[in-house]
Amino acid sequence: MIVEEKISADKFQPAHIDAAKGEVIEKPSLSFWQDSWLRVRKNKGAIVSLVLLVLLILMAFVGPHINHYGFNNQDLTKSNLPPRIPGIEKLGIFDGTQNVGGQKVNLYEQKGIKDYYWFGTDSLGRDLFTRVWKGTRISLYIAFLAAAINMVIGVAYGAISGYYGGKVDNVMQRIIEVLSGIPDLVVVILMILILKPGILSITVALSITGWVGMARVVRGQILKLKSQEYVLAAKTLGAKDGKIIFKHLIPNMASVIIINTMFIIPSAIFFESFLSFIGLGLEAPKASLGTLIEDGYKVLRFLPYQMLFPAAILSIIMIAFNLLADGLRDALDPKMRD
Amino acid sequence: MRKTKGRLGILLALSLVLSMILGACGTKSNDSSNASSPKGNASGKEVLNIMETAEIPTMNTFMAQDAVSYNAMNQVFEGLMRLGQDGVTPVLGMAAEKPTVNKDQTVYTFKLRDAKWSNGDPVTANDFVYSWRQAIDPKNSSPYGAYMMGGVIKNASEIAAKKKKPEELGVKAIDDKTLEVTLEHPIGYFESLMTFPLFYPMDQKYIESKGKEYASNSDNMVYNGPFTLTKWNGTGDSWTYEKNPNYWDKDSVKLSQINVNVVKDPGTVINLYDTNKLDWGVLSGEYAAQYKSNPDYKVLSDPSVYYLKFNQERSNQKTALANTDIRKAISMAFDKEAMATTILANGSTAANGLYPKDFLKTPGGEDVRKANGDLVKYNAKEAKALWEKGLKAIGKSKVSLELLSGDTDSAKKMDEYLKGQLEKNLPGLTITLSEPPFKVRLDRDDKQDYDIEFAGWGPDYLDLYTFSNLFLTGGDQNRMSYSDPEYDKLVNDAYSKLGKGVTKDQYFQMQLDAEKILIQKDAAIAPIYQKAIAVLQKSYVKGIVKHPFGPDYSYKWASIQK
Amino acid sequence: MEREYINRCTLFFPTLKLSNFDEFLIFIEGFLGGAVMAKYFVQRVIYMIITLFLIASITFFLMKLMPGTPFNAQGKLSPEQIHIMNEKYGLNDPVPVQYAHYMLNLLKGDLGTSFQLDNRDVSTLIAERIGPSATLGIEALVFGTIVGILLGVLAALKQNTWLDYGSTLIAVIGKSIPSFVFAAVLQLWIGAKLQWLPVAYWNGFSYTILPSIALAMFPIAIAARFMRTEMIDVLSSDYIVLARAKGASAFEIAFKHGFRNALIPLITVMGPLAVGLMTGSLVIENIFSIPGIGNQFVQSITTNDYGVIMGTTLLFAIMLVVIILIVDLLYGVIDPRIRLSGGKK
Repeated sequence: MIVEEKISADKFQPAHIDAAKGEVIEKPSLSFWQDSWLRVRKNKGAIVSLVLLVLLILMAFVGPHINHYGFNNQDLTKSNLPPRIPGIEKLGIFDGTQNVGGQKVNLYEQKGIKDYYWFGTDSLGRDLFTRVWKGTRISLYIAFLAAAINMVIGVAYGAISGYYGGKVDNVMQRIIEVLSGIPDLVVVILMILILKPGILSITVALSITGWVGMARVVRGQILKLKSQEYVLAAKTLGAKDGKIIFKHLIPNMASVIIINTMFIIPSAIFFESFLSFIGLGLEAPKASLGTLIEDGYKVLRFLPYQMLFPAAILSIIMIAFNLLADGLRDALDPKMRD
Repeated sequence: MRKTKGRLGILLALSLVLSMILGACGTKSNDSSNASSPKGNASGKEVLNIMETAEIPTMNTFMAQDAVSYNAMNQVFEGLMRLGQDGVTPVLGMAAEKPTVNKDQTVYTFKLRDAKWSNGDPVTANDFVYSWRQAIDPKNSSPYGAYMMGGVIKNASEIAAKKKKPEELGVKAIDDKTLEVTLEHPIGYFESLMTFPLFYPMDQKYIESKGKEYASNSDNMVYNGPFTLTKWNGTGDSWTYEKNPNYWDKDSVKLSQINVNVVKDPGTVINLYDTNKLDWGVLSGEYAAQYKSNPDYKVLSDPSVYYLKFNQERSNQKTALANTDIRKAISMAFDKEAMATTILANGSTAANGLYPKDFLKTPGGEDVRKANGDLVKYNAKEAKALWEKGLKAIGKSKVSLELLSGDTDSAKKMDEYLKGQLEKNLPGLTITLSEPPFKVRLDRDDKQDYDIEFAGWGPDYLDLYTFSNLFLTGGDQNRMSYSDPEYDKLVNDAYSKLGKGVTKDQYFQMQLDAEKILIQKDAAIAPIYQKAIAVLQKSYVKGIVKHPFGPDYSYKWASIQK
Repeated sequence: MEREYINRCTLFFPTLKLSNFDEFLIFIEGFLGGAVMAKYFVQRVIYMIITLFLIASITFFLMKLMPGTPFNAQGKLSPEQIHIMNEKYGLNDPVPVQYAHYMLNLLKGDLGTSFQLDNRDVSTLIAERIGPSATLGIEALVFGTIVGILLGVLAALKQNTWLDYGSTLIAVIGKSIPSFVFAAVLQLWIGAKLQWLPVAYWNGFSYTILPSIALAMFPIAIAARFMRTEMIDVLSSDYIVLARAKGASAFEIAFKHGFRNALIPLITVMGPLAVGLMTGSLVIENIFSIPGIGNQFVQSITTNDYGVIMGTTLLFAIMLVVIILIVDLLYGVIDPRIRLSGGKK
């Protein structure tokens, strides 16, 4: 049976509707970047890769000093030794054995070597562990440099070209075509005359040739996006061109820009090793991941570990960048907002 | 809506078909040409599959200047003489018998045999006169013409300098079958010189009828050698030698066909060899070291020597290398044995002198290298002492030197090793490496724009002069501002006075003494290593001959024996 | 939507049947659009010629600045001989004179002769060797693009599943590891050990498979990444939600709607990539002993073979500008918004 409780009318008061309170924002106000950061944090993949990248960068600076080998201590009696890691070797891998003429031989025992080389040695007897981390340093520098050049010059160039269209676009695109049409190799060889091999020459060479692809991609995207309504709205409201480009259009292209940058990085790393090959990049005995991979490739058939380690590190860096980039894109993309 | 899916399917199918068509169009669909047949096919033909490392730049005998061209020419053409089965001794080619020589030893007369070109034209003395004149004629700009003939064949140098006409060259056709050659002065290596492709005959009638088309591909040439050239389009990566039925000595030729392919990647060579597409392949880089225990592994010796050149004057200023003790110190400060065995690991050996071993023998029958012994060896302690002495003499405690070197893989490894060794054993020395492309390096060598250069030389003819003339004062190869009048006198006297007061024994002795001055006294250069080539050769392949100069190999006597 | 469809069709198939006035108007629009396109096209061709001229000229002058002579008898030529050879090839003339000669010859269709390959015409050399490189490039591009697009679409549709991560992994490996590593591995395992396909040379279709696959890894990676990203963007748009609500299947959505949006950045990158692939991947050609043009080009630069340098540069430049033109035209075809706005402000 339902008991009706009698509640007296005077226990009720009309609710206070304060129109002004409707305007109060309860959550603390976040800027665009703070908001994005919060969302990045939610993406597990991105966080893992960020941690990984930080670790790699740390190793790049600390790694060469962990063991007592220098990166250029040559010792021909210790050349081409496979990796041997204390502890892990008991598992049967990285135990210093290698296939020699069809038989598994422990080269360390055979040559009477007591030291442990974690990544093995190269043909001149230098410790690969140290060299790989030193090389990572240089490759990371090149990667960031290439990314920076691309993003700054390439995006700006492409955006201006695409946004203004017409004659400006025509001229700017023709300039790009001319730059693309001239063989890189000719320019690089000429640079050998003027510049000494080293980081500077790499930087210059990358700056001249590296941003063209990005410029074209950005231009394409701008052409696609500039007829959107929000651009029209912004223009009507009196926003300046620059503001439209940077505040409205570019964030919408963030994903494409990031992907393209991701592609530029390995190309830049291998461009640098190509430069070294020509005699313009790093001079020996300095090494980068690119040159280590190229050197390791030559003996891939018998001494795969020489290519394995630098290639693995390069791949890890790339995967980490990728996942991070995806996470950033997801976070920055206005459309993905819940 | 369905249309899109269907459209995509069609697109996919179309593109696959398109790529297949393109694939078929763009490739040679004849498998018989250069797809190799191992150990001869059912018809019992003996077919050999070999490789080269580069395309043939030219088949024009007076324009050639590289190993691939010379090698090809050696198989399909033949000169007065040809290098024989022992690799070194010249044997009769177009010459029917050994030449008669006049008392001065300056005029050689050859009787030619009855040989024919592959189009039936007879090989005449005029064919030689024609080709030699073409080689020396300045308008043809033959790279080796003046170099090989100058100072050897009468009037050659004057013709090259446009002071005389090509018709005045010291070669004459007495009649169709008799050829007379006049020299400037006696030389000890004339017969072997005649094996060099520059001196091959050319069928004038045929060539003039072909005009610009001559030697543009294998159909536009005639041949008088053990094989004919087929399936060469002038720019391609593959060609074939087929047994020449018109060759005078065709009974000695066992192979019916040789398939040649250009293979540049060392790993590919191994893969082709393992799948029986190649019967013979060059092992380079790490492959040489790794395949040492393979039963098919062979080492072929080569008389090319590599050394460091010390530039004594750069940009009109004396360098630290002008001091003899410093040069001597550097010559002794690196472990050559280790370099040859561990880094090169292909049979190359440390060199302790300029003249190579297994190249020439003294008249007494002793190997030249053995006769003169080791003129400079690795000795870190002595090097350091000399280094410090030298530093004191020039008043410096630190010296920085640039090493100009090649950009090949082995060069780079050796450079790094050298740098490591020199900096370790000679405190105060810093070496910077410069490894530009070949052309840039040549240019810098020309301009003497280097400190130390990693250089090498292979003999052009079978005589010590090919090495000793390099370092005469002002020589084209010198470019080190190195000048020692004692050295010059020995070398020049020996060369120009052979047969005119200098006997063969004395000739050799003078050249050997000169080498001692160059290396022991002056340390003008620092020998590093002598080259060797490591190859894999199938056990059923026999009779490939390697030569120490000129064309690398002869396949005339090669055969397949199961 | 349908209108633009027909618009595009009439552009290329002007013989479509017209049944009423509406369609007639549409046809005129298409025709006018075509006329505008034609004017644009002509304008672009003129620009192309100017660009090519600039590329040729700048390359010519840069090339002349490179050190070293083209004659490399390893120092066996005396200075007088070098002088004579320079006379013969007109290399003693001042550079502007050489330039004028070269340009005049170019107009006559004469590309000069090669120093490396004794007096072979540059045009013959290029014609004989471009075939394999182009074939290889096209095969790699087609194969790579198709596989890449499929991978990307799958990854986008099944976002954050194993399929997605797998495809991302493939894409990353594809662009981080250089193609010659794939080539060496493929050659060793499939060619030498398993002997399923030939190890090297260029004697038939089966010889093209391994090199194409090696070369295709990079385009696969690019296509997959771009497709996936754009597709994800598109799949979260409003009209997609509407289409799904209307009952369209994921596959239809992917290909009918997402595809075209992703194409813009994709073809922008693919265009020049196509040229790069076709003009010879030097290392792949070396590994598989393919008689292509890649090697000639690099060698000509390092040996100062002026004729071949200019000839191949011109060839590549022509291919590049033509492809860029095609890509720009395709922008208009793929995305009507670009065409309608005429590319102007």
